[in-house]
Amino acid sequence: MIIPLILIGKIIRFISKSLNLGNGGTWPGEIALTFNDRILEHFVSQVEKGVIIVAGTNGKTTTSLMIRKFLEKSGKDVKVVHNQSGANIENGLVSAFISQSSAKGRIYAKWAVLEVDENVLPVVLPKINRCLDAKKKIIVVLLNLFRDQLDRYGEVDLIARKWQNVLAHQSKKENTTLILNADDPLVAYIGGKTKARSIYFGLDKPEVYLKTYEHATDSIYCPSCGQKLDYEGVYFSHLGKWSCKNCGLHRPAVKSDVLTFPLAGIYNLYNSQAAYWAAIEAGVGTDILKSVAVSDFMPAFGRQEEIEYKGKKIKIFLAKNPAGFNAALRTVIDLRLHNILLVLNDRIPDGRDVSWIWDVDFEMIPGKVQITVSGDRAYDVGLRIKYTSEKVQTANIKCQIEENLERAINSSTARTAKSDVLYVFATYSAMLEVRKILTGRKIL
Amino acid sequence: MNFQLKIGWLYPDLMSTYGDRGNIICLKRRCQWRRININVFNIDRDTREAEIAKCDLIMGGGAQDRQQSIVITDLHQKVSIYKEMFERGVPGLFVCGSPQLLGHYYMTGDGKELEGLGIFDFVTRHFGNDKPRCIGNTVGRLTGDWQFRVGNLRDTIVGFENHGGRTYLGKDVKPFAKVIKGYGNNGEDKTEGAVYKNVIACYFHGPFLPKNPHIADWLISKSLEIRYKKEIKLEPLDDTLEWKAHDFILKKLKVYKVESF
Repeated sequence: MIIPLILIGKIIRFISKSLNLGNGGTWPGEIALTFNDRILEHFVSQVEKGVIIVAGTNGKTTTSLMIRKFLEKSGKDVKVVHNQSGANIENGLVSAFISQSSAKGRIYAKWAVLEVDENVLPVVLPKINRCLDAKKKIIVVLLNLFRDQLDRYGEVDLIARKWQNVLAHQSKKENTTLILNADDPLVAYIGGKTKARSIYFGLDKPEVYLKTYEHATDSIYCPSCGQKLDYEGVYFSHLGKWSCKNCGLHRPAVKSDVLTFPLAGIYNLYNSQAAYWAAIEAGVGTDILKSVAVSDFMPAFGRQEEIEYKGKKIKIFLAKNPAGFNAALRTVIDLRLHNILLVLNDRIPDGRDVSWIWDVDFEMIPGKVQITVSGDRAYDVGLRIKYTSEKVQTANIKCQIEENLERAINSSTARTAKSDVLYVFATYSAMLEVRKILTGRKIL
Repeated sequence: MNFQLKIGWLYPDLMSTYGDRGNIICLKRRCQWRRININVFNIDRDTREAEIAKCDLIMGGGAQDRQQSIVITDLHQKVSIYKEMFERGVPGLFVCGSPQLLGHYYMTGDGKELEGLGIFDFVTRHFGNDKPRCIGNTVGRLTGDWQFRVGNLRDTIVGFENHGGRTYLGKDVKPFAKVIKGYGNNGEDKTEGAVYKNVIACYFHGPFLPKNPHIADWLISKSLEIRYKKEIKLEPLDDTLEWKAHDFILKKLKVYKVESF
């Protein structure tokens, strides 16, 4: 039963790739799952050393790509199965295995590195747990929990509770290690709820604490007793050095800073720390980790990826929720932002609700920056930008609204000086469209 | 004359789930653009009643279940002051989850009954977290006796709803709008929200006002009217972009017949 499914999957992927429709997406996995709902277990059980799972609202794709690079550098023939396109619900995971399996459905890989959607983690983790024998490792990296796509998932608290439940049941397994963000109260709290080994990562950099709180805070209340948390300082959103005066819960001590990392932005410090400790757990030596970190790391697609278009430099940021958006905005403002294109779509992968743009602090964009907006919901972003200004605005506000994405890209590129960079902030499906226009083809 | 307004924003860090502050930003800017002195006042658990009573407008947003029970405990201690203000005509806007606090009771997803403030004659029940939520873009038509029919404005409201609770209106309260697209109060009777005196409760969540500038301006002018005890005509603003964004939603949801009156 397995072999025909794999062949069908591979054929779909081949057709889709040759017709330039992308890398085959999630269809092979979707079809295989319809006929065999245990196909993920079939593949996972064959992985030689273990599985590394990366979950969290922001940073999954970048972190899992780093982990994969670390593993591949650690030996000559270290094969890694990885859902690198970012398709991170079960059909995407299965698709990744199909594309890397033999025609007979065999997987010859030492590790699987899987980025997993927040809401799918509680479903997928028990499956992986059941089919891996006790000698193999499960490393679960939990990066953060921010408000994201509320229309699909309900509330941040609800996801945190689901994570707690599934990881509490993981307690018997001695082969499980959790890599937890100590600076995120909801994530750190999980460490105390499970008997699995926990390694905490976080920042110790009081010099970069924010001066004022951002609005987009999600969990500033104690996950244990519900009282307001105290912060010695905040790095962004609700990540920082926290404690609860009421019940004494506090941010756990972290392993110290270890890496320098070429991608800009404080969130990438978190991603690289998480990747570092996951790789250490997987048995990669520190000398290898250090050589990889400074030399050959390329950003994942759409994550600070730089593309040349019509002789100008364009840098794309995936921006899909207030916490990530604010952190990325702060980064490009530090890099002397002159031109920015904001593209907001409201399709299923973006979240159909665009309310979150009112939680982004667009007010921080300096007055002389040229702003262009586009996407399915161009008017919503345009309106948001209009309301950043205290001065009365005419119909022609300080940003240009252009519904047609190609025209928006062309006019904002034309406005960008040769020596300058056009920064593009886009939601998920918008980012794929932007890439397609800039490179002439779909993902990867 | 330079007018002043004080907006009371209920529990900003407990009840601002998803872009709700868009309503505050909208009111603030629309006042600033008209040179009305606006003061946004955060109402927290330690705010004294005398301070609350000075507010000209009360704004409430959405909360997660855990935060909501913290809020309701505090509101119960101050309920008389809010009742007195709303009876006096002070306007309010409660979006997203906050209307649930104002009825007789709110039954949470895990079957706990929270006693409401009893300001509105309605009840809200949540049928459990495994029941589908009411989620999506939505359009409503303001109900017939709607008092804010001023000027040549739309009688539609547009927005996004996302709620697990279902609200059922009693006899003593009127709906805010009739559902054209979406679920509204309960997905059954086509009512959306409720109005009592000058207080609006509605399930539209997050930034409701930016794309509905007629409601924003009604709130501003009513607040001024109560504060200064006379009718005050607002200076018109160029709302081309606001209406473009409003009409975009109508078009997206295929609501073509937009009556103006």
